[in-house]
Amino acid sequence: MSERIARPHGLEAFFGAAESASRDGVEIALLKNRGFLNLRLDPRRERTVKAAEEVLGQDLPLAANSFSGGKRRVYWLGPDEWLLETGAEEAGALRGELEAALAGHHAAVNDVSGGQATLRLGGPEARTMLSKGCTLDLHPREFAPGQCARTGLARATVLLACIDEAPTFTLIVARSFADYLCRWLANAARP
Amino acid sequence: MAAGQANRLPRGGRIDRSRPLRFSFDGKSYAGYAGDTLASALLANGVSLLGRSFKLRRPRGIVGGGAEEPNAVMQVGEGAAARPNLLATQVELEPGLAARATRGWPSTRFDIGAALDSFGRILGAGFYYKTFKYPRAWWKLYEHFIRRAAGFGKAPDSPDPDRYEHRNAHCDVLVAGGGPAGLMAALTAARAGARVILADDDVEFGGSLLAGGDAIDGAPAMDWVAGAVAELREMPDCRLLSRGTVFGYHDHNFLTIVQRCVQEADAAAQGPARRPVAERLWRVRAKRVVLAQGAFERPLVFCNNDRPGVMLASAVSGYIHRHAVLPGRRAVVFTNNDSAYRTAIDLAGAGAEVAAIVDSRPGGAGAIGQRVKELGIPVLAGHVVSDVSGRRRVRGAGIARWTGEPWSAVEITLRIDCDLLAVSGGFSPAVHLHSQAGGKLEWDESQLCFLPGEARQPHDSAGAGNGKLSLGDCLADGLRAGKAAVEALGLNPPEIEIPATNESPAAPIKALWRVPAAKDADRCPKQFIDFQNDTTVADIRLAVREGYRNVEHVKRYTALGFGTDQGKLGNINGMAVLAETLGKPIPEVGTTTFRPAYTPVRFGAGAGESVGALYDPVRKTALHQWHEAAGAPMEVVGQWHRPRYFPRNGEDLHAAVARECLAVRNSVGIMDASTLGKIDVRGPDAVNFLERVYTHNVDRMKPGRCAYGILLGEDGMVMDDGVMARLAEDRFYLTTTTGGAAQVLDWLEKWLQTEWPELEVWLTSLTEQFSTLAVAGPNSRALLEKLGCDIPLDRESFPFMHVRTANLAGMPVSLFRVSFSGELAFEINIASGLAPDLWRKLMDVGREFELTPYGTETMHVLRAEKGFVIVGQDTDGSVTPVDLGMNWLLSKEKDFLGKRSLARPDCLRADRKQLVGLLSRAGCTVIPEGAQLIERTGQRAPVPMCGHVTSSYHSASLGHPIALALVAGGRGRRGETLFAAPPGREPIAVEIVSPAFYDPKGGRQHV
Repeated sequence: MSERIARPHGLEAFFGAAESASRDGVEIALLKNRGFLNLRLDPRRERTVKAAEEVLGQDLPLAANSFSGGKRRVYWLGPDEWLLETGAEEAGALRGELEAALAGHHAAVNDVSGGQATLRLGGPEARTMLSKGCTLDLHPREFAPGQCARTGLARATVLLACIDEAPTFTLIVARSFADYLCRWLANAARP
Repeated sequence: MAAGQANRLPRGGRIDRSRPLRFSFDGKSYAGYAGDTLASALLANGVSLLGRSFKLRRPRGIVGGGAEEPNAVMQVGEGAAARPNLLATQVELEPGLAARATRGWPSTRFDIGAALDSFGRILGAGFYYKTFKYPRAWWKLYEHFIRRAAGFGKAPDSPDPDRYEHRNAHCDVLVAGGGPAGLMAALTAARAGARVILADDDVEFGGSLLAGGDAIDGAPAMDWVAGAVAELREMPDCRLLSRGTVFGYHDHNFLTIVQRCVQEADAAAQGPARRPVAERLWRVRAKRVVLAQGAFERPLVFCNNDRPGVMLASAVSGYIHRHAVLPGRRAVVFTNNDSAYRTAIDLAGAGAEVAAIVDSRPGGAGAIGQRVKELGIPVLAGHVVSDVSGRRRVRGAGIARWTGEPWSAVEITLRIDCDLLAVSGGFSPAVHLHSQAGGKLEWDESQLCFLPGEARQPHDSAGAGNGKLSLGDCLADGLRAGKAAVEALGLNPPEIEIPATNESPAAPIKALWRVPAAKDADRCPKQFIDFQNDTTVADIRLAVREGYRNVEHVKRYTALGFGTDQGKLGNINGMAVLAETLGKPIPEVGTTTFRPAYTPVRFGAGAGESVGALYDPVRKTALHQWHEAAGAPMEVVGQWHRPRYFPRNGEDLHAAVARECLAVRNSVGIMDASTLGKIDVRGPDAVNFLERVYTHNVDRMKPGRCAYGILLGEDGMVMDDGVMARLAEDRFYLTTTTGGAAQVLDWLEKWLQTEWPELEVWLTSLTEQFSTLAVAGPNSRALLEKLGCDIPLDRESFPFMHVRTANLAGMPVSLFRVSFSGELAFEINIASGLAPDLWRKLMDVGREFELTPYGTETMHVLRAEKGFVIVGQDTDGSVTPVDLGMNWLLSKEKDFLGKRSLARPDCLRADRKQLVGLLSRAGCTVIPEGAQLIERTGQRAPVPMCGHVTSSYHSASLGHPIALALVAGGRGRRGETLFAAPPGREPIAVEIVSPAFYDPKGGRQHV
């Protein structure tokens, strides 16, 4: 199932017709064809965790505000909630596998691919840009690669993840807010 | 002298003489230099009259050199970019800057209000309260003139073109104030490895050292400042904010700083898109705070002490050293402490004649007295300046011998001509932020000032702000505070030596709160305490005579400490005079409350980027672009923008809605209902959980079944409604109202997490995942069949109020046979990414059925025709399901949230407002929504009201207007006549009817 995200208008102020652009020390790119699954389970139930991890082939991160890399990214959203980022084509099949493996367990898997927009932010001024609307401490020591947080950015709720030291950030936002957030980013990217 | 700057010294200062520039004040052009403030440039040009006072319209000039300036309040810039209420002492001079005095309408020199000064005796404290009280009806007239006369700056009447931004920042140590103590504290913390923010409201760091004359380690003190700043700039985790005023100290060590940003000369040429930031609001979370904002020099309170040319001694020194401006040629210095002696030396060094130092202390100064003597400056110890002559400018000082007895009368025995009177009444630490943070204040009797006492948050004070008035003490205190901060953070403080200074010991200050005059305090010429609010000694004494005792009451009665000034200059003198009048010690009288903002902050800085398109998020559905292309006007629903109607060929709202309604009733229409909240509920306890929160019998629903459900608050009132679908034994899908989506999920999670954690249920929001396309009308089934559906859609295979998963045009969907229009209808849920495709295919195939897109307005009319309520429109949080006639939804076999409240006597009253339909008797009038309903016309106000109209439309299907209303006891009153009484209109006679206007038996949705 191919995921078609209508290009948010808000980005035009920043990069015109292109899909990504770099300016004033900030790089913004709209990532397409991403798939997402929302997973709920109780991490105290080891068998349930193990069943999910076997399908995923990687650990479910149990530390707050962290994500595990590997074949796909698994973001910690709460003590019993994760967001799995996959390719758009893979999401449906993975959901089926997880649901099968978790049958009889107290767990919920939902395909939420249609509800998200994903952006990649980078460049030397990326932290400055984010600090204009995010109250979290984004200092490299406080928000390091491997960490993520569901937080406010301007007046939208986002999942912000620090990918590498460059720095590169991934920003996942509910699709209805994408246009607003892109407008905000295009404005905040101004020096 | 360059270009008429008569008071500019030929050399020296921190101005850039290679960059002369021109500016204007009150329409007249002047010359200055880069590095000047507006105040220093005006003084350089000999402009001494800068405005008129608040109440008495007395001429006023510059008193201070920074944030404490009470008089030089300016309107800077023209038109939309005008900035009201800036202090000339804080405005950096820019080429072409245009400033006006804010007070002195119609002009500074010819102020018609100045006549008020002659009536000064009757304009005492509380004058307005007493005089303009009667007759009450005239108050509006009085108010108009009082406001006009009292105004500060004028707010621009068009949008502010400036750009503002917010920044969030975190640090280990925030140092407020970049003088010697602040720099020392910042250096100490930064060298220990702490993340440091150092903010100073001035253009340059250095604080009191900018006023010159000091030496550190045997070199000019500013060399040490330059070294410290350079070192801090090199540190990666240190942020230096000059032009940054820490204006608010809030809870949890959250502080706000407004930073004025440097404007590049070509900024305007870059156009609005690239306009640089004018002001930046920093929102800082600091682990520790060091407050090092220094101290304000106090004026002395003598007769006519507000005359232009009476200035703070420290400000005079600052203008000489920093701006190379000599504010007067022949000066008298009047003091009760040693610090002003340095100003006398500075004045003499700059070529002014110092006619005398008048020192109220019988013993005179400490070691510095000898240096003054060597310069040949006469000192009159044990004397005071009791009065000054001159109106628009000081002309002379009247000097009297004083025994030291407060409130005694003195005789002026000596008059000295002068054009400058430099005064010092001691120093008041700037304790504003300490107080804002909840810190206590302690009176220091030896230094005669309030010092920061016990702190309530993790902060510390250092330097002059902590009562350390000598440079050596400041540096040592900064080091101490810096070390304490890093130790509290668990870091190792670095070894730093306190730099050497060369100060001589000072003689102690002596209290002189009110200088004795020739007449008693109530009859002598005015002795000003608060220049900005024209509060005098006599005003405070009057307040006490009239029974005010508490300092907060006296403040409000006399206006002491109000305005942009916030009592920076006058408060301590005012409290001391109050204490002396009451015969109480000063600490017993106490201070008034210090509140943010420390200095005025522009509204633009508060708003930041949240203006225009970024004011609030606009949430858009996946189909938004189609709606926009179709030219649909949008309705704002919460943050969502939903198409309201789809006009064709220039139709107005009414024509479009009538057409859309008929299309749905007669063929088929399509609506984007994607904004509905959607929640996936799963787990073995899903039924159990939903039974507790919904009112109907959930366990009776078989998989594949849908039901209308309502949620009640604990008070029994309707909170939200929607469709519940049972997808499997352990799995449900809930829809909520658009506006209630987030609230309902929170409500459910709250009960699950805090009250019933033993229930095995997971909730997942799918609002954004699925788009909802509502296809409604008698041809809706044919449309879907034509499009290609892989399941049978006939009445028997897929009955009303059921759910099926299917493939529609090859795309996976869930189909809900539910109807909000009363017609045969299907709600299609599809992954949002695929929704635009499906919508387009439906529109293509639908041409045959004249498929008509419709908006929220048509949806409202269609449901009102059926008497279906909208939560939040027909309900308001005080409506029970019984009021709505939904008793059939309330299970008698189980408990549910809100059930017990429904049995409260008030919920059982027969005269509660109940949902009814209304028809206008005349037949063609659409009753305004919100109109109150009354029993009969012709009554005198107040007329008892028996209900109100909640929804009202013209029904194209029925050919007449319809309305829904809440009417007291309404269900039992069918057929009765009431009157809708919209304000300003003739009452409309209406008949109470059933709310189900169209197809009351509901046959059309079951086909």
